[in-house]
Amino acid sequence: MKTIQVEQLEKIFQVKKKQHGLSGSLKSLFKPQYADKTAVEGITFSVNQSETVAFLGPNGAGKSTTIKMLTGILHPSSGSATVLGCCPWTERSKLAYRIGSVFGQKSQLWYHLPPLDTFELMSRIYELRREDYKARRDNLIERFELGTYLHTPVRKLSLGERMRCEIAASLLHRPQALFLDEPTIGLDAVVKQRIRELIVEMNREEGTTIFLTSHDAGDIEKLCDRAIVINHGGLVFDGQVDYMKQQFLTHKTVQLVLENDPGELAAPGVSVLNQGGCRITLSVDTGITTIEAVLAALMASHRIVDMTVQDPPMEDIITRMYGTFQVKEVSL
Amino acid sequence: MLTADKKKSIKTISEQAEAGKLRRLLRFTTACWKLNLAGAMEFRFSFLLTVGTMIANNIVWIIFWGMYFERFPVLNGWTMQDVMMMWAAAAGGFGIMSIFFGNATRLANLIVTGQLDVFLSQPKPVLLNVLISRMSVSAIGDLVFAIFIFVGFGDVSLFGTLKFALALLLSTMIFIFFCVLAGCLSFWLGNTEGLSFQLFNALLTFATYPTGIFKGFGRIVLFTVIPAGFISSMPVSLIREVDLPFLYGASATAAVLCLAGILLFYRGLSRYTSGNMMGLRR
Repeated sequence: MKTIQVEQLEKIFQVKKKQHGLSGSLKSLFKPQYADKTAVEGITFSVNQSETVAFLGPNGAGKSTTIKMLTGILHPSSGSATVLGCCPWTERSKLAYRIGSVFGQKSQLWYHLPPLDTFELMSRIYELRREDYKARRDNLIERFELGTYLHTPVRKLSLGERMRCEIAASLLHRPQALFLDEPTIGLDAVVKQRIRELIVEMNREEGTTIFLTSHDAGDIEKLCDRAIVINHGGLVFDGQVDYMKQQFLTHKTVQLVLENDPGELAAPGVSVLNQGGCRITLSVDTGITTIEAVLAALMASHRIVDMTVQDPPMEDIITRMYGTFQVKEVSL
Repeated sequence: MLTADKKKSIKTISEQAEAGKLRRLLRFTTACWKLNLAGAMEFRFSFLLTVGTMIANNIVWIIFWGMYFERFPVLNGWTMQDVMMMWAAAAGGFGIMSIFFGNATRLANLIVTGQLDVFLSQPKPVLLNVLISRMSVSAIGDLVFAIFIFVGFGDVSLFGTLKFALALLLSTMIFIFFCVLAGCLSFWLGNTEGLSFQLFNALLTFATYPTGIFKGFGRIVLFTVIPAGFISSMPVSLIREVDLPFLYGASATAAVLCLAGILLFYRGLSRYTSGNMMGLRR
C-alpha cells in the first residue's frame, strides 16, 4: 500500500475581485465580484513508505494547499487522496494519530511556556503511554540537543531553537509520515544543516516517510530522494532529485573578490553576470565546464580573496523546468 | 543522499485504540487548562492586576444598583437580591466561558485569519480543542466576583447552591454556544469579527438588566434571537423559586444552541480556507 496516493486532486478558492482604493472598496461593498482561483489543478502522484519527497514550486504554486489537503486541514474541490489508507478530510482524527506536521509559519508551541510543557500537552493530545512518552521525549531531547533550553519560555528562544523544538514536538508520537512545510524558513546555515541531519536520522532509523516543501535547494539536495514539482497548481515534474539536478541545475553562480581587477574574462561555459572592479559574479554552465576548472584557470593568473558558489534560485530552476516539460508527468 | 533502511514498521506508542477514550479526553482537557493557567501566571504582576481590575469594574455596577435600590426598593417585582443574583449568574457564566473556553469569543478571528490549522492537524475534537486553548485572565476576576456575590446575597443552603450551580451551567452554555454560532458566520460571510463581537456584546449587556423592564417585541427578541432573557431571568425564575416551564425553556435553549453550534462549526470546516498568517499559541 502506498503511504500517499493522490488522484486528480483539485482545490478552487473563490477570491473577491476589488479595484484599488476607497472607491473600489465602496463599489465592491454594493456589487461584489468574485473569481475562481485554482490553487491545485488535478494533480496525481503517489509516495511509498519511507520515501523522502521534496514537493516544490514557486510561491503560489499550490504546495501549501496540497499539504493542507493531505493533512485534513482543507477539503478539496474535487479528486481523491489517501494517506496511510485514510481519507484526510473525512478521517482527519484517525489519520492525525499517525502523521506529524510542521508548518514553518505556524507554531504548535505555547508562546509563554517552556517547550517541555508543550511536550506534556502533546502526550495528552496523542494519548501516549506514560513510560513510552517519557522515553521518547528524553530520546528526542538528547537527539535534538534541547536540554539547555527545555525550561525557557518559547518567546525567548531563537528561531532555530524554536524550530528544533517544533520538529521534536511533531515527532513525539512516532508518526509514520511527516509533513514539513518550509521547515528551514528564516534559519541560518548551521541550524538548517542540523535540522536536515535530524530529519535524515529519523528517516533512516524509523523509516518515517518525509514529505517536504521548501524553497531551499539545500533542503532538497540533502534530504530528498525524489522531487515533485508543481507550478500554477499543476504537476510539471515527478522524478529523482539526481535526475532533476542533472537536467535543470545546469548553472552555478560564482561570486568572487579578486586581489586585482582582472579586466575582461572569457571562457567556454562562463558568462559574467556582474563586474565592478575586483568584484565579479559569474554564471558557470556545469554542462560545459566545471567549477573546479574555472577556479583553477582564475587562480593561475589572479589571487582570490573571497569566493562563494551558489545554486541558482529554485524559482529559476522551476521556470526552466516549466518551459521544458510540456507533459504532466515524467516517470523514470 | 539518503540510503534509508526502507521497510521499517513504526510501532505506535499511543493508547488511542485502547479503552478509556473519555478518561483520556478529560486528561487532555485538564492538561490544556493547566497550561493556560500556567501561561497566564507567567506574568505574575499583570495577572494579579488584571484579575483585581475586573473585580473592581464589576463592583462599580453593584454600587450603582445599590444606590438605585436605596431609592426604589422594588423594580418591576425585582429586589436588590434578585439583581445581585442576576449579576452573579451573568458574570459567573461569562467568567467560566472565558476562563475554560476562552477562544469562544475569538472564533471568528481564528477562522478568518486561518488559525485553525494547528487544531485541525491534531487528533482531538476540533471545536473543543479550539475553545479550551485560551484562557482570559480578566475573567478569573468575573468568576471570583460571581462567587462573592452569591456568598454575600444568595441562598447558600445545599438546595440554594445547587440551583445557583444549575443557573451557572445554563448561563455558561448559552454564552459559549451563542458565541460559537456567531463566530461560525465567518465560514460563510468572511470577516465577521465585528458582527460577532456586536452580537456577543448584545447578549452580555442584556443579560445584566432585569428581564422585567422589557416588554413586547423587546422581550421576544431576548428569548429568541439574543437569548439573554434566559440568563437575566435566572434570579426570579430559577434561583428565587424554580419555575419549571422556564427551566425547561432555558435547558432546551442551551441544548439547541449547543447542537446548532457544533453542527454549524463542523459544517463550516469544509469551507475553511486557512491562510498564511504567522501564528503562535499564547
